[in-house]
Amino acid sequence: MESWRRSPKTFLALGLPPTAWLLLFFLIPIGIVWAFSFGEKVGIVDIDITGTFANYDRAFEAVYLQIMVKSLIMAGLTTLVCIAVGFPVAFLITFAPARWKPWLLLLIILPFWTNLLIRTYAMIAVLRTNNGFLNMGLEAIWDAADAVTGLFGLAALGAFQPWDILYSDAAVLIGMVYVFLPFAVLPLYSTLERLDTNFLEASLDLGAGHLKTFFSIVVPLAGPGIASAVIITFIPALGSFLQPDLLGGTDSQLIANVIERQFLSANDWPFGGALSFLLMYITFIAIAARAFLTRPNERRGSLPA
Amino acid sequence: MIKRKPRPISRRSLLAGTGAVAAGLTFAPKLGWTAEEAKVNFYNWDTYIGETTLDDFEDATGISVTMDLFADNDELFSKLKEGNPGYDLIVPTNDYAERMILAGMLEPLDHSLIPNKKNINPAFQDANFDPGRKYTMPYMWGTMGIGYRKSKVDGIPDSWKWLMDSDRYKGRVALLSDSQGVFSAAAKYLGKSVNFTDEADVKAIEDLLTKNKPNIKVFADDNGQDLLLSGTVDLTMEWNGDINQVIEEDDDLAYVVPKEGSLIWQDTLAIPTGAPHPINAHKLIDYILDADAGAKIADFIQYATANEAARQLLSDAYRENPAIFPPQEVLGRCESAVYRGEGVQRMINDAWTRVLAA
Amino acid sequence: MKRIIAPLDYSRRWSLRWVIVATTVFLYAPILILIAFSFSESRRLVKIEGFTLKWYEKAMNNDQLALAFANSLTIALINTIVATALGALAAVLLWRFRFPGKPVYEGATALPIIVPEICMGVALYVFFARVGWPSDWIWPFNLSAIAAAHIAFSFPFVAMIVRARLANFNRELEESAKDLGASEWQVLHDVVIPFMKPGLIAGALLAFTLSLDDFVITFFTSGPNTVTFPIKIYSMVRFSVTPEVNAASTMLIVITLVLTALALWMQNRDKPGAEA
Repeated sequence: MESWRRSPKTFLALGLPPTAWLLLFFLIPIGIVWAFSFGEKVGIVDIDITGTFANYDRAFEAVYLQIMVKSLIMAGLTTLVCIAVGFPVAFLITFAPARWKPWLLLLIILPFWTNLLIRTYAMIAVLRTNNGFLNMGLEAIWDAADAVTGLFGLAALGAFQPWDILYSDAAVLIGMVYVFLPFAVLPLYSTLERLDTNFLEASLDLGAGHLKTFFSIVVPLAGPGIASAVIITFIPALGSFLQPDLLGGTDSQLIANVIERQFLSANDWPFGGALSFLLMYITFIAIAARAFLTRPNERRGSLPA
Repeated sequence: MIKRKPRPISRRSLLAGTGAVAAGLTFAPKLGWTAEEAKVNFYNWDTYIGETTLDDFEDATGISVTMDLFADNDELFSKLKEGNPGYDLIVPTNDYAERMILAGMLEPLDHSLIPNKKNINPAFQDANFDPGRKYTMPYMWGTMGIGYRKSKVDGIPDSWKWLMDSDRYKGRVALLSDSQGVFSAAAKYLGKSVNFTDEADVKAIEDLLTKNKPNIKVFADDNGQDLLLSGTVDLTMEWNGDINQVIEEDDDLAYVVPKEGSLIWQDTLAIPTGAPHPINAHKLIDYILDADAGAKIADFIQYATANEAARQLLSDAYRENPAIFPPQEVLGRCESAVYRGEGVQRMINDAWTRVLAA
Repeated sequence: MKRIIAPLDYSRRWSLRWVIVATTVFLYAPILILIAFSFSESRRLVKIEGFTLKWYEKAMNNDQLALAFANSLTIALINTIVATALGALAAVLLWRFRFPGKPVYEGATALPIIVPEICMGVALYVFFARVGWPSDWIWPFNLSAIAAAHIAFSFPFVAMIVRARLANFNRELEESAKDLGASEWQVLHDVVIPFMKPGLIAGALLAFTLSLDDFVITFFTSGPNTVTFPIKIYSMVRFSVTPEVNAASTMLIVITLVLTALALWMQNRDKPGAEA
């Protein structure tokens, strides 16, 4: 890494466009909401920015903290599953023949070019207890098994009990994994692609097994990709509100649902702003912690530990 | 301290305020009433107009209509809160219309430009949320009630009890996830007005809902009719129009307004402040209130129209359908919501968050 | 069987292939079901009954749906190009330079990823309303506010992906290119950009996806006559989920599939040695 003073022109040419865009279409607008979070509602539409901390005080009430913790857990589980599934998928795409790669990538990304709401409704059709396709499949398997046990004169398995999974936290989790999987696959793929295979070959030649090679060579090499996959999956997952709304049970609301309600039906923008910023502070701290932890790694350049 | 009030750039404050000169400059066409371009921007719910109505209107007047869509009143309200981005005609429900009137977000109507006002049913000529119909014209109306599967319940479940205070149909019941609707229904069950304002009432409703939560399968995101049709639940709280649609497909389904009474709603036609084409908007309102045009609309969307002249032109199947036009004695038990201030709104929302988190 | 597989030929290992098969089933089961429903006679998404093309006819005759689709595609394409460019610039900047306040800058570029969608939607809505951003320009310029917003939230995703990619870049390549007399621009063009390419592709795909499917931020930044596909779908679904929505989506899937396949095929044809 070089100091910006060495080539200030390149520095400016690189930095100016994204910075200007970020400032104009993000930082200034979000600054307005940040100011709102220190204000109070006056009448129906107006907000007085009084410098009050009342909205933040309110955000620390037990009920909101409880929802916040639940949201963190759900987003964490989603990320875990997405990385666990996404890694082998990205790995396979990386090592696939070159002309297959774009097709495999397309295979992963294509479902996401279908509207999320429509896909979520389709997910309801898959998961629901009555007339759900998952339960129809399970029932067919059950009946087949029942027939087989009957054939051998064993006791019948009894009537099929449908799996009552829709409208629960489990259904929300499935829905969230479904939505955020490509968020994990894409960054993983982009780091694994053109991974220096010499390291892998050397490891295998030296007698390390595939698993050992994977964990001691591939994972450290893919470190930055994993980190960005975690961030890109976890953070938007923390903001999901459609899945709890449509797939969740009576207590599946997450923090994004509460925030959405403040901005829409409650018409309480100052409180909605405070909750949003609280969420942002938490994730910000998490990212700063990551930057702090991975810094020594980066200095060593491309070689893994 | 930064005061938000003087907002020099917001279009609405420009118009609402006394900066008439500035307003005149920004909206030059407003000064010359006749100089309006032949366009009107209609902001409506989806499938909430006749199939050919907008084309017919263009043929009749030469004014082309572009229709944009919102999905619920909260969206509509939020979208206009900071000023009108260019809509000429909107369709808010009664309590939201009232709130918008109070916030100065609606333009007063010029009744002389709406001769078809005479077609409106006498019951709708005036409104408690808009005395004298200064700002709104009625469009469609309906009720909230219980949709149920006849073969799966005992008799007619004509009480909110089965949804709010009973484990008889445990796990087969859905409520709407709309806090206002749920709280109104619960208020009726507890013998209160839907327009309660007391904190104690909110608390009583919250306790009732929290206690009964284990019996509820799901809080439906306005898709209660689909839950009913798919057999996921056997009873659901819903709007009558939604249940009517599924009754057409499955005659084992039915709709009832509970004996404790319920909420009655009315969608209105209104012109938001700062509308770029207010004259054309008046023309479109008048066209919708026309007997023939209104009949085509009602026939297509199958909601109860407030346009009496249009209703007279329609078939008995529509006019006599109790699920569209409930009997008078049922309506007598219903109340329409009024706007009760931001404080009550907040109390209900906070209570709802606690119910969901419990 | 195992003997013939080269050590690094992971794509031939059945254990890994099973993972992708299972993932594909998981990803496509709902898609297949939604396609199946588009041919169903019933107007509800409850049971698949009979076979009909009437929903396709309806969707094709729905002008508003077509306009919404055109709007969404236009925005998504503009967004993909600009966001990928901005994201790549930001990534190279952060990768290459040391400058005062860098951690803060880094955090600021990650903010659009962190902020809840609705909060950003409201923020942009208030911003556009207060600066008086014109909403009555002719198509496609009336989409400018939506496109600007989409770029603002998607370029940080691109930056993050590209930067992760660059972290594995072997700096010596750059140094040796410079030693051999390559100019700054040549190094960027001939060494850095080719290396970034997988990151750029992944980032562009994500930017396109994010934009095409965004509802919340689009809703708050749209004006009259700027209905996008998700907005149209949301309001259609509010009334009732009919197979017309599914028919429209199915057509969309087919169109995007054909277009992408065509693009890929042409790209592969250009470089026959791609199989290496």
